[in-house]
Amino acid sequence: MNLDPYRIASEPYYEPLGHEIEAFKAAYAERLPVMLKGPTGCGKTRFVEHMAWLLGKPLITVAAHEDMTAADLAGRYLLEPSGTVWHDGPLALAVRFGAICYLDEIVEARQDTTVVIHPLTDTRRILPLEKRGEIVPAHADFQLTISYNPGYQSAVKDLKESTKQRFVAIDFGYPPPATEAAIVVRESGTDNDLAAVLVAIAQRSRNLQGHGLDEGASTRMLIHAGRMVRAGLPLEAAVQSSIVLPITDNPDIRSALSDAIQACLP
Amino acid sequence: MLMRQREVLRPIFRAAWDDLSHHFDATELEAWAGAVLQLANVNAGPTCLIAYWEASKDGAAREEIAPLLAAAQVATDICRNAGARAATSALKALPVAARAFGNGPALARWWRAMDLLARQAEESVEPVATRMNEVLAPGTIDAFENFVSAGLRAASGNKARRIAFFSLEDELARRMIARDLGSVTFPEAEVELKAFLTALWGRPPLLRSFPTDNNQLAQRRASIAGPVIRLPEVYRGVQGDAARELFRAAAAHAQAHLVLGQDLFPVGTLKPLQIALVNLIEDARIETLAMRQLPGLRRLWAPYHIASPSGVVSAPTQLARLARALFDPAYVDDDAFVAKGRAMFLASRIGDPATSREIGMLLGNDLGQMRVQFNVKTYVVEPVYRDDGLGLWDFGENGPLGEVVELPIEAVKVEQREAGETEEATGEREGERAEFGGARPVAPDQRGVVIAKYPEWDSARGIERPEWTVVREVAARLDEPRMIEEALDRAHVLRSRIGRLIRGVRIGRKIRLGRQHEGHDLDIDAVLDAGIALRTGREPDPRIFRSSTSVYRDLSVLLLIDVSESTSDRLASGSTILDVERLAVSILAEAMGKLGDTFSLLAFASDGREDVKMTSIKSFDELYDRACKARLAGLSSGLSTRLGAALRHAGRVIGGTVSARKLVIVLTDGEPSDIDVSDPLALVEDARRAAIGLHTAGIDAYGVVLGQAGGSSASRIFRRGKTMMVHRVEDLPNRLSELYFRLARL
Repeated sequence: MNLDPYRIASEPYYEPLGHEIEAFKAAYAERLPVMLKGPTGCGKTRFVEHMAWLLGKPLITVAAHEDMTAADLAGRYLLEPSGTVWHDGPLALAVRFGAICYLDEIVEARQDTTVVIHPLTDTRRILPLEKRGEIVPAHADFQLTISYNPGYQSAVKDLKESTKQRFVAIDFGYPPPATEAAIVVRESGTDNDLAAVLVAIAQRSRNLQGHGLDEGASTRMLIHAGRMVRAGLPLEAAVQSSIVLPITDNPDIRSALSDAIQACLP
Repeated sequence: MLMRQREVLRPIFRAAWDDLSHHFDATELEAWAGAVLQLANVNAGPTCLIAYWEASKDGAAREEIAPLLAAAQVATDICRNAGARAATSALKALPVAARAFGNGPALARWWRAMDLLARQAEESVEPVATRMNEVLAPGTIDAFENFVSAGLRAASGNKARRIAFFSLEDELARRMIARDLGSVTFPEAEVELKAFLTALWGRPPLLRSFPTDNNQLAQRRASIAGPVIRLPEVYRGVQGDAARELFRAAAAHAQAHLVLGQDLFPVGTLKPLQIALVNLIEDARIETLAMRQLPGLRRLWAPYHIASPSGVVSAPTQLARLARALFDPAYVDDDAFVAKGRAMFLASRIGDPATSREIGMLLGNDLGQMRVQFNVKTYVVEPVYRDDGLGLWDFGENGPLGEVVELPIEAVKVEQREAGETEEATGEREGERAEFGGARPVAPDQRGVVIAKYPEWDSARGIERPEWTVVREVAARLDEPRMIEEALDRAHVLRSRIGRLIRGVRIGRKIRLGRQHEGHDLDIDAVLDAGIALRTGREPDPRIFRSSTSVYRDLSVLLLIDVSESTSDRLASGSTILDVERLAVSILAEAMGKLGDTFSLLAFASDGREDVKMTSIKSFDELYDRACKARLAGLSSGLSTRLGAALRHAGRVIGGTVSARKLVIVLTDGEPSDIDVSDPLALVEDARRAAIGLHTAGIDAYGVVLGQAGGSSASRIFRRGKTMMVHRVEDLPNRLSELYFRLARL
């Protein structure tokens, strides 16, 4: 089967923060599964896209959710006029034809679903398709990458120890201010000064993490704010609608954050 | 005569009783009737009794008997000291006070102040009580206590003047209760301020307030003491959003000192004017640094810099103009002194605190040579948002000497007097409490109201002794809920972890159900199976839909807290076992409150079989609010652990709930023991029997045992699978919440 639709044509922008590119390359060379950890909106998905492009491999992304079953990943029989026909799921597709399979927010899926990846992530590198009575050995190019946000999910829904320990992990955080500003400039098309102000604003909201906010404003939020400004909205209004309002519903925290943001504006 | 009165009173009493019986159970009503009798015994007279019944009806909706009993107690004392009319008027004022203060410790303090008045100025109780609405206009209990003590002091024993004061005919009295409508008090702004400062510099501030002193003409400035920022309770004359702005400006300025400033300045031989100038330069330096990071702070502070070149030349105006010149580059001022100060400041090394001292000293000399008047006693820092500057100085071990440093002396005196006063005041209160249990919501019997009797298992003889233990309800002592809130703030890492656990079990979450008879969506796997069945000629399963349902939890939890003497032991960290228990309970209570689980908190300790004390911190039908936190904060260690009786009582309390699942979690630090039982094993056996009793009644009992000891007996009592050992007491908050989430999981 042709996986060309899953190939990434042009280079997705990614600003390396540390040795994550080398780490991923090394893991890929050894075909070790990788786990990307970090807060929301800090560039995990972008990183995977960048790596798939860099390595020249197709990328199959699956967003995990609560109702996802093992069949949604591996595949199922469908009924056609001529009879039942097996249909590979996204994971089986990646395994069979050699792609990087990216399971986004893996903990959202139920634990009994995630165990389906176990035989793929040790030395066996196989995907057993029970219903079909088939064992699919992984293609040489196949690699599994998962992402999860340790802060955001509940500890009750944490990854199983037996799942966790199969992965090589790469930790993502918010970039240092100068880098983050550069990213905002690049992605939203704002000028440097505005980007610096946005980063300072994000810093204020991250200060409130654990003191009223669960997570501070992400780089993605800053990019949104920058794009709102570029589309003609005044800075204050843009920050309100793309950072303050989405991030909290608590009126005290909202007004404290707004005032702290005021302090960042020139 | 008396009999006739009784005839008249009876129906009114009946009506009150009926009213209260909707809110309270038999024992509570019994205690209430006792309180009525107590009032009748001091010849309070029919009007007073009726006033009490009315006040009781009014207060009954709050579902708490203790404040009503306390009210009768103090009213009795007032009646003794100041007569029935005074007592009647105080009772009539009670609803006003309750509206202002709720049922918490503030109301108890209100009663204490009324009682104090009855003792020291019996004639003044009635005038002040009838005007309670106006008197309580400032809205804080501090203000009321202030008002009463000011009245007593101002009249200095002169009865007529006292009456004038408390009838609000006196100018000072009127000024003291004048509160601007729309003014914002510190507690109203506190949460937001804290979050604001945390957001600015990533460091949660320690904020306190000091009461506004209406006798002073000038608004007292914020002050810094060590890591603590103290702000006025209210900024007089500033309202609404403007007041919030001012709070923010003042707090941001003070926190900037703490974040960006360095060591304290030694006072040395500086003159007061020099000290004031060093403060001024340091303020400007800190603000400049802060505005480099956060340029928008300029907008926050700028509106308060209003000094202008006009006006007479005096030290305060010169200082205010210099402050503005250093803050506002656009400000034009031709005065030589201001210009020199500005030039020196601009040329200085802004990052170096020594700059402030250098420039301040030089400018102080200049201003001194200009012979402008500088009155230390009336000087206040301008603009209003800045702190008084005293927190920047190191006054040395022995404090300042000689007249040269009068400014700090004055200031230090103020500080010391304040500290002294508060200590005295609390000392006085403690004394009062001990002297007459009046203002404390304690029921008539010192040992508390008997609420139940339980059997006990005598393991040596193998028989159960009926009605062997007597459980008494002891009203909780109240303390500052702030204590709990601060402890919670310090434990914010754990708290946010628990917060995530909460979100994980959020009730009302939808779950999907596959293979249903009906639903909103086809279950693709079921459809396929049905299709295959049809083709192969078998009967298909008609359940081919998916639907969803909400998660619903039907659970009530009772947390039984051991507060026996051993919980006063100190840990390596310096806090007591009880402190850790308190933190653990408050974290868990907060979590359960957020989840909407019904829960109750009971503390127990025993003093022999006749006296097993239970303190209700939160009952099942109460909301977990500040009143509960105040009770939790007020817990103190003492006496022994008669676990069996406590368990039986917990079983009875939780048995009254209608939940499908009932959970009792016992928090204890060791083995059961009591003064009248020599063989501790006997109490272990009894507790075990009590736990089995709970089990048969369908109640799950779990033991959480602190420390090294007590493990074997605990697993004997609760069985091994239902015991959790916490060897390191400090781990308790974490482990307790974990246990809860494990047990309460669906």
